[in-house]
Amino acid sequence: MQAIYRVAVATFHEAWRRRFLNAILVFAVLIIGSSWTLTYLQPGAELKLLIDIGLGSIRFFGMLIAVFLGVRLISDEIEKRTIHTILTKPVTRAQFLLGKFFGSLATVLSNIALMGIAFYVVFAYKGSKFMAQGSSEASASGTPGISTDFIYANIAKAIGLSFVEMTVLTAVSVMASTLFSWIIAAIFSFFVYFVGQAADFFKSLANPARGTGFGGQLVFNFIYGIIPHFEVFDMREAIIKGTYVGWDTLGMHVGLGLVYATLIMLVAFLAFMNREV
Amino acid sequence: MDLSIEVEEGTIFGLVGPNGSGKTTTLKLLLGLIYPTAGTGTVFDLPLGSPEYKRRIGFLPEGPYFYDHLNAVELLAFYGGLFGMSGAALHERIEQLLHMVGMWDRREIRVRNYSRGMLQRIGLAQALINDPDLIFLDEPTAGLDPPAQMEMRRLMVDLRNQGKTVFLCSHLLKDMEPICDSVAILARGVVRRQGSIRELLGGESGRFRLRVAGGNGLSLESLRDRSLDLKIEGEEITMLFANQQQALAAAQEIANNGGTILELGAQTRSLEDVFIEAVAAGGEE
Repeated sequence: MQAIYRVAVATFHEAWRRRFLNAILVFAVLIIGSSWTLTYLQPGAELKLLIDIGLGSIRFFGMLIAVFLGVRLISDEIEKRTIHTILTKPVTRAQFLLGKFFGSLATVLSNIALMGIAFYVVFAYKGSKFMAQGSSEASASGTPGISTDFIYANIAKAIGLSFVEMTVLTAVSVMASTLFSWIIAAIFSFFVYFVGQAADFFKSLANPARGTGFGGQLVFNFIYGIIPHFEVFDMREAIIKGTYVGWDTLGMHVGLGLVYATLIMLVAFLAFMNREV
Repeated sequence: MDLSIEVEEGTIFGLVGPNGSGKTTTLKLLLGLIYPTAGTGTVFDLPLGSPEYKRRIGFLPEGPYFYDHLNAVELLAFYGGLFGMSGAALHERIEQLLHMVGMWDRREIRVRNYSRGMLQRIGLAQALINDPDLIFLDEPTAGLDPPAQMEMRRLMVDLRNQGKTVFLCSHLLKDMEPICDSVAILARGVVRRQGSIRELLGGESGRFRLRVAGGNGLSLESLRDRSLDLKIEGEEITMLFANQQQALAAAQEIANNGGTILELGAQTRSLEDVFIEAVAAGGEE
């Protein structure tokens, strides 16, 4: 545990010194903060826009940070040979890999937390105004306004699920880093993420009712089965509709994310064990 | 392929070999950085790469790279932490090592601003953080200026004097010859020669070298017949004799004829000579 902790702390500190990562974070906070300037549109529209910009930015920039941090994690250590002085200490490859993963994850999650705080600040001020204006106009016109039930709790849950989503994506990036050069690893990670956003689409493609042949069904079902279903971590629609997201649903998605991350890190471990350093 | 190397405790051992001879692979195997495709390896009766084994070794890589955002103290604290060291004991060890490698006054400088010499010094310090019994040094003097090379050699001898075993891997034979107690010459993955420096350099002992200048009336033909080899370069004649008596007799004769004795002594071979012979012999197989 000591070795994992030490490697993780070193990884965390080193990651926070990377300028590209700082730039992404600053840019993300600026984008989220820019929604402060949103003017009143019509009941529901500005609230939807606010949530889309805020949570969408957290997911998008969280993805960039997770991928660009994760894909260089192992390959850089091998290329710069910093790994040699670490693996010749009483540190196993598994401990090293886990330390790098947790250090990277802590960096990604702290970035998401900062973006989440920025969003909460904007939402607490602007969102409450929009909600108040929206509900008074809706009741005056007799039209149903946007439901603001559970909205703060749902936003917190949505940010929590972004944590889980980025945990899975960090695992994907680290795994790719043990297998490929960082450029290939980045392409691979983005591919997995975007395909994972559309996992249900592959399920529908595998449906024989669409005229898909047996071979096609096998391929699409395989993709659907193997790809992490990233779309389950997106709660924006539930927030906007004011749907209550129960703890059981949340727990199921968190559990799914942890299973994905564990399995992916297992593959990463197998690849790293056999890699020459 | 069997690779057996004997290294005595408390000595400086040198593993030498031309490029592609398998030095790096051997070193990586010994360090547990790569795994043998077949068979096993043990040092101190411990499996290579095991945590117990790693607790007893230190390693300075060639052209070492470290996390460059750290300063010397932070870097050594990181490596010490990997051994579970902490608190006052760790800080005491860090201070001791930084004094030893001459980095105490520069302990606040970040690694990214280090010169090559400073990197080697801090690299040696991190290799010694756990007070290892066996220290592997890969090309420790490569790229250093002469004073830094001398300092590094002094540090290695100091380590031996402290009872540590130093395993040197290098192709800089002139650096190794004065400090190594024993050497193994590796070529194409096979140990061609192995032994103490005295054994390796003392092969074919008894030959004597005589270098003279001038001397009128010398019979060159007679000298050529008696010597094993004779070379003339300008005013100087260099001869090689099978034994001391022949060399002394020739020297006396030359002196009697007005010649000047420039050099007379046992023929010594350098590690480089032995290395080239061993590698060439390997190439002929």
